[in-house]
This record gives sequence, C-alpha cells and structure tokens, in this order.
Amino acid sequence: MDAILFLLLSLLCYCGAALVALLGGSGRAARQAAGWVSLIASLAGAISAAMAITASSPPTFTLLQLPPFGALALQIDPLSAFFVGLIGLIGVATGIYGMSSPTVGRVVGFFTYSFLASMLLVVTVNNGFFFLLFWELMTLLSYFLVIWKHQDRQTVNTGYLYMLVAHIGAALLLTAFLILYRQTDSFSFRLWHQAWISPGVKSTVFLLIFVGFGAKAGMAPLHFWTPATYSAAPDHVSALMSAVMKKTAIYGLLRFCVDLLGVSAWWWGFVILLFGAASTIVGAFYALTERDIKRLLAYSSVENVGIILIGVGVGMFGLAVQQPILSTLGLLAALYHLLNHAFFKAMLFLSAGQVIIQTGTQNLNRMGGLARRMPWTALTFLIGALAAAAAPPLNGFVSEWFTYQALFAASAVVSFAMRVFAPLVAVSLALAGALALMVYIKTYCSAFAGPARSETSASAQESNTAVLFSLFYLAIGCLVLGLGAPWIAPRIAGVVSQIAHIPAMAVSSGWQVFPVDPNRAVFSPLLTALLLIGLLAMPLLLIALLGGFRAGRRSGVEPWSCGYGYSSRMSLTASSFDQPVKATFQLLYWLRTLLDRPFQVIAEFSRSMVRLILRAEPVVETIVTRPTARLVESAGQWIQALQMGDIRVYCLYIIVTLAILLFAIFGRSGL
Amino acid sequence: MTLAALIGVGIVQALLLLLAAPLFSGFARVLRAKIQNRKGPPLLQNYLDLVKLMKRQEVVSEQAGWVFHAAPYVLMSTMLLVALMLPVLAVQSPLGVAGDLILVVYLFALPRFFISLAGVDSGNPFGGIGARRELFVSALVEPVLLLVVFVMALLAGSTNLGTISCKVAVGALPPSMAFWLSMAAFAFAAFVEMGKLPFDLAEAEQELQEGPLAEYSGRSLAVLKWGVYLKQLVLVALFLALFLPFGGMTDLSPAGALLSVIAFLLKAILFYFVAAVLENAMARVRFMKSPAAIWLALGAAVLSFVFYLAHV
Repeated sequence: MDAILFLLLSLLCYCGAALVALLGGSGRAARQAAGWVSLIASLAGAISAAMAITASSPPTFTLLQLPPFGALALQIDPLSAFFVGLIGLIGVATGIYGMSSPTVGRVVGFFTYSFLASMLLVVTVNNGFFFLLFWELMTLLSYFLVIWKHQDRQTVNTGYLYMLVAHIGAALLLTAFLILYRQTDSFSFRLWHQAWISPGVKSTVFLLIFVGFGAKAGMAPLHFWTPATYSAAPDHVSALMSAVMKKTAIYGLLRFCVDLLGVSAWWWGFVILLFGAASTIVGAFYALTERDIKRLLAYSSVENVGIILIGVGVGMFGLAVQQPILSTLGLLAALYHLLNHAFFKAMLFLSAGQVIIQTGTQNLNRMGGLARRMPWTALTFLIGALAAAAAPPLNGFVSEWFTYQALFAASAVVSFAMRVFAPLVAVSLALAGALALMVYIKTYCSAFAGPARSETSASAQESNTAVLFSLFYLAIGCLVLGLGAPWIAPRIAGVVSQIAHIPAMAVSSGWQVFPVDPNRAVFSPLLTALLLIGLLAMPLLLIALLGGFRAGRRSGVEPWSCGYGYSSRMSLTASSFDQPVKATFQLLYWLRTLLDRPFQVIAEFSRSMVRLILRAEPVVETIVTRPTARLVESAGQWIQALQMGDIRVYCLYIIVTLAILLFAIFGRSGL
Repeated sequence: MTLAALIGVGIVQALLLLLAAPLFSGFARVLRAKIQNRKGPPLLQNYLDLVKLMKRQEVVSEQAGWVFHAAPYVLMSTMLLVALMLPVLAVQSPLGVAGDLILVVYLFALPRFFISLAGVDSGNPFGGIGARRELFVSALVEPVLLLVVFVMALLAGSTNLGTISCKVAVGALPPSMAFWLSMAAFAFAAFVEMGKLPFDLAEAEQELQEGPLAEYSGRSLAVLKWGVYLKQLVLVALFLALFLPFGGMTDLSPAGALLSVIAFLLKAILFYFVAAVLENAMARVRFMKSPAAIWLALGAAVLSFVFYLAHV
C-alpha cells in the first residue's frame, strides 16, 4: 500500500505543480514554486518505484468504478514500477531545469507537469479503456507543448504531422483493444491475461499493437515525425519526449505483447528485431548529416529505439521458442538500454538547449568554441556523447554489450532464420555504433571545440547553477548506470522475470556481469574504468623518466596553417564533416529526400483541411441564421420609427386605425 | 595458472608490447626504405625520436581545450589496457576478468573518439580533415571487424578472448573455410586500422600533415606517437591471439616464458614483413576510392559467415 501512497502523492504533486504554474502568474517565484512541487512529485514517484519493484504482489488502488468500462485502478507491478521510476528520475532533472529556465513559463509549465502526470497514469493504469484515455491525454498535452514555442507555419505543420501519426497509432490500438474486448467482454488487463485467445486473433492484435506503439516510439519507417517535432518543442520537452514518452510505447509493447498476451509465435520477435535493426541504421545515417542539433539528437533517438527494439525482439523470440536465457538477455538488454538512453539523451537535449539559448541558433555550423565559454556544460555534454557513442565503460556501452550478448545467444539457437539474421543484426549494430561515434564527435566538435564561428557563440555565457545541477545529476546517473552494472542488472533481470513469467536468472556476481552463463562472456565495467584511469600513470611515468616535464609548455599560439594567416573559417564545420559518408551512401539520402516530400504534402494537406473546416463550419450561419437575424433587426428598427413617445401621436395612430377599420367594415357592406 | 601469475604475465606482456612497439614501427620504416631502394633510418631511430621529442618544449594552439591535452594519454592508457587483456604470452587472457572480445573491439573506439576530437579541437584545418577521414574509414571497417568476431565467437561458443584463443591453440576449432576467410577479413581490418596505405592518409605527411597529429608537439607528440606505435602492435597481437595463438604458455615456467616471447616476436615480425610488402606494393589512391576495397573485406567476412552457417 505504501508504494501506492507515494504514487498518488506523486500524481497529486504533479497536478499541483501544473496548477501553481498556471495560476501563479508568469513570475519567477511561481516558476520556482511549481518546480519545487514537481521535484517532490518526481522523488515520490522514484520512491514508489523503489518500493514496488521487488514486491511480489503488486499493490493496487481503485479510484472509481465506471460500469461499462470497468474500474479505474492504479497498479504498480515490477514493470510499472520500472517505468514509474524512469519518469521520476528524469522528472527530477527536468524539474530542476524548469526552475531556472525562462521557457517554462505559465502555459508551458502547466502542460509540462500535466504531461508528466499523464505518463505516470499511462504506465500504472490496469484497464484498456483508461489506458487509451490517458494515452490520448498524453498525446494531446505533448502536442500543445510542441506547437507552443514557435507558432509559425512550419511548426503548425509539424504539429499536424505529429497528431496524424499519433492518431493513426491510437486508432490501431483502439482496434486491437476492441478485438480483445469482444473476446473477453472486458477491458480489464487481468481478464485479458487469463482469457484464452486463439493464436490467429493474438497475431492480429500483435500486429496492430506493434504498429500502433511503433509509430509512437519513432521506429523506422514511422520515425519521420520525430526530428521535426523535437526540433520545434522547447528543450526540456524534447528531453521528456525522447527520454520518457517514447519509452511508454515500449512499455505498451512489453505490457500487451509479453505480459498480457504472452508471445505465441516466433515471428513476432523476429519482426521486431528486423524493424529495430532498420531503425538503428536509418537513425545513425540520418543523424550524421543533420546540421540542426536538435534534429540530430532526434535521429539519434531513432537509432537508440532501434537498439531497444533489437533487445525486445530477441527477448520475445526467446519466449516463443521457450528459451528463458534468451528472453532474459534480450529483455534485460532492452530495459537497460531504455534506462541508459533516457539518462544520456535527456542530458544531451538539456545541454543542447543551453547551447541554443546562448548562441540563438540550432545550426551547428554557427556554433564552435563553446568549451571555453561554457566548460561545465561542455563536460557534461562530452560524458553524454561518450555514453551515446557506446564508449566503454559508460552506460551506453554496458547495455549495448548486453544487446550483443543477446544476439550472440540468439545466433546459437536452432531456428535457421535467427542463426542467419542475429549476426547480421549485430553487424548493423556495429555499423550504427561506429556512425554514432562519428555523429557525436561531429556534434561536440562543431558546438564546443575549435574556434567560435559566430559572434553569439564567442560571447556565450555558462549555464546557471540550477541547470548545471540537473546536467550533473544526469551525468552522474550515466556513470552510476555504467559502473554499477553488476548491482543494477540483477534488479532489471528481476523485472524481466516478472514480465515474462520466467524464473529469475543470475546475471552478475561480484564486480562482473555476464550473460547468464559466465563461461560465455564476462565484463566488469568498474574494473575497466579503474584500469583505464590507473594506466594513465604509465605515460606520465614515461615522460618523467625521459625528463619531459622540464621542457615546459607554451600556449596561446595560432594553429599552424601552411604559413598563411589563420582564420576561424579554416576549421572544420559540421557540414564538411559528414561529406564522405554523404557521398558514399548517396542512395540512402536520396531516399530520404524522396520520402520526405509526401510527408510535407500530408502536413500541408491537413493544414488546408483545417482551414477548409474553419470555413465550412459556419455555412448554416452565413446562409440562414445571419440573414434572418439581419432582417428581423432591420424590421425592428423600421418599426421603432413609429414609436416616438409622444401621446398625441399615439392618439393619432388610434384614430387612424379606427378610421381604417370603420372604412373596411362599412366599405365592404356597401353602405 | 593462478590469478596472481596471470596478472604477472599480463604486466610483463604489456611492458613488452610498450617497449617493443617503436622497434616494430622502425622495422617497418627500414623495410619500406629497402623496398624503395633507399638506405633508410637506423632500426632504433624511433626511440631516438621519442626521447628527443620528450625534451622539446610543447607548443599548444590557443584554440585547444582540455580534450586536446587528454587525448594522447587516453590513447596510451586504453592501448595498455588492451595489451593487458590479450592472450599474448599465455593462451589464457591475463585479464579475462575485465571483459571479453566485444569490449576489446569497442575499446578501440575510445581513443578514436578523443584523437579525432583533439584533431578538430586544435583548430588546425588539417587536423579536422584527418580526423574526418580516419573516422570514415573506421566506420566502414567496424562492421567487418564485428562480423569476424561474431563468427569466431560462434565457432568457439564464447566471446571470451581466452576461450577462443585456447580452442584455436589446442586445435579444438578445425580449420574450416569459415576460419580462413575470417582470418583474411580480420587481417585486412587490422591492416586498415594500423594506418597503412592506401587507407591511412595520416601516412601521407606531405598532403595531410599527419591528420589529427598535426598540431601536437613536444612530450604530447611523443606520447601520441608512442601510443600509435603501440596501437599497431596491439592490433597485430589481437590478430595473432585470435588466429595464430601458437607458442603461448599454459603453465608458468621460465622456459615456457622465453619460448612464448620468442614465438610472439617471430610471428609479429612476420606480420609486419607481409604488411610492409603489401603496403609498398600498393599505390596511394584517392581517399573516396577506399570504400571499394573495404567492401571486398566485408564480402570476405560475410562469406565466412555463410560458410559457418553451411558448416564448411
């Protein structure tokens, strides 16, 4: 019951924060008050998750009964607890960020905190009807957040595109839920889990759910809305959407396909695996050629969702072929990467937001040299970039290592399709990893390294303390999630055993993690990190032995440029960085240009539809109601002219009337 | 072997690789000079260069941040860690407790990240272009490397370096087409990663000013150069550990240790010799032509995978 209390506290505080933000005016005090309240909410959520994640019987709390649809009840089983924890942990960062960021004003604040509350409801509700309700609420709130900042034509189009994709997804989910309702006569998750459903129906439901949630998760080829949306939204909203909202789609996939329905065919996992691999490649290639820092991060999210889906796919395949080791590894890798991605991507979006505020542009070509102006922001961005580029021993690598191990285990199973495709998916992961390395080197270089390429970036200021605090919180999170793997992985494996209804397996002992079987592989992130740091002594020792420290150092000279005068325009820009890749893989980029056009057309079409509807709606009014009203009005005015207020005139009216009447009567009788 | 003995072996082999690395690069320089009909530098010239550089004053560009300063040290420390983990002198991995083959492959990414960043950070136009080219080539090589690693791991049933090495050494993996093609693809990948012609244009001192190294000087340059030499030897050692792990110790003994050191040096000399001959037989091609050759390596790797699937 305690976990539920904290969950309710968290929900109440988010709603409170939203109200404070809305009613408190646009002052600094109100913003800070709302931020503090949301911070309490996030912490309460995290505590609730910590309590419930190991609970054997999930605590439940019924809010109300709505007879045709069932009960609105909140339930925190380990899977929900994992996502509640995720929302809480990232909510802490955005709460602190929100306190000092002027973008989080009245309306944005209201929508942000209600958005967090809606996500909390999505992952804890245990009824299909209410799930869809809150899912829709989440979509709407995020839509308002996306279009709020810049209300220009481009953003409005982006908003329509987002709404369109979200609603196609929601329609598919609705169809799936209605099918399940027809099968079980109920929206209750418990009954869906217990009911016997024929494999054919299950597979249909799976396909609907997969595409529905895949659209929301930004999986290729349904990813096209993400770059535009994240680019338009305020920074902390992009962070929340990428780090948390996308993950609710993964939650849905796990909840419905793994937990409730139970995987019944091997091709479910296989399909997810292939789409995951496609997403990693597409995301990595397109991220590389982006010049807009937020679009770049959005494409990188597509890549990371791909990595998560690879894990989910292997896990579901393992469940279908009844190989619990495979399912444990796959789902563990997926959930671990989900958590890691949330941390480093939230940090990258928040620090990118600071960079954008300081330089006034999202164009990487116009930044540069910010590491000297904003050293701490640069440091956190570098940690995030290293984590995102899967450099060992940071958290991004740890979960990719598990993904590789899952794929390796999958390559050794009997199924021929898996034996062929699992290693190829691993190759796509390696390619995506190498490209991600390039992407993040390019981003860091263009924004933070080298000379400043614009006046604004030459005069940038370091982020304020609250922002730095939230950035460091996330950076430390990245380190802890990486180095603490032997202590974190077993917890996640516990969650996996609960979702998949399989016995829990050991994945770590002492300082090491291993893929269930320690003979297959071991990895110790902490030892690796300590050795890397310890071995730094060796070059220093060599320098000391050879007398290198006596020579000294002279700094502040111009870079060498063949004897010509140095200019900052000589340094490499973001656009020139990716030129070889662009030239080698022309086809991929040509495809994107080709495919981008229909989406622009769709967005423009929905915009014109809305305009048409605005014009069509008042048709009855313009043709019928308004002319009649005008007629009545002018008649009234005309009649008013008779009413002069002079009693003599009124007497005259009476006499005239009488005369007319008398004339009428006597005139007709012929007298 | 006990853990203490293994760690001892690891430290000895890391020191051996570190100290021998400039010698092997010097050997490659001498060979190239001989092939090109020049007299060439003395065999120990690299050591003299390193000592000389250490004693020179370091000049740092005003654009450079702390990443620029850190990069040489990160390179050397990472390569030393890999040197500790490889089964060079023993058939087991001395530091198998730290991680497996996938970690080793990804560890090469860490210095790449820092060196490329430093290249751009220095503000030097050549540094940036060099970094870009190196990253592009390695992005193409990475899939080859990983597919080979996967095939070898599947053949051995484990991604642990020591397990694969042991199985190959005792002949538990019968030499198959898959094995030979993997070996060819990996040798190619190692050749590219070592920075040989026609892939590495850092070699082309005249055109690109050694890429990311351009702005370095003094002790930083010395550490960086030493790190690059070490990286080349570590790559060779990784290749030998996976495909030709013969002569390694199974138990700790003075005779075994001596034998394993000699065996390793001979194998490495052979590899450097073949690499030098190949390198000097090749023309320098335009940078954008290099993907074509890498597709060939990817083809070999994929073919080895197909052979693995077909059990040939």
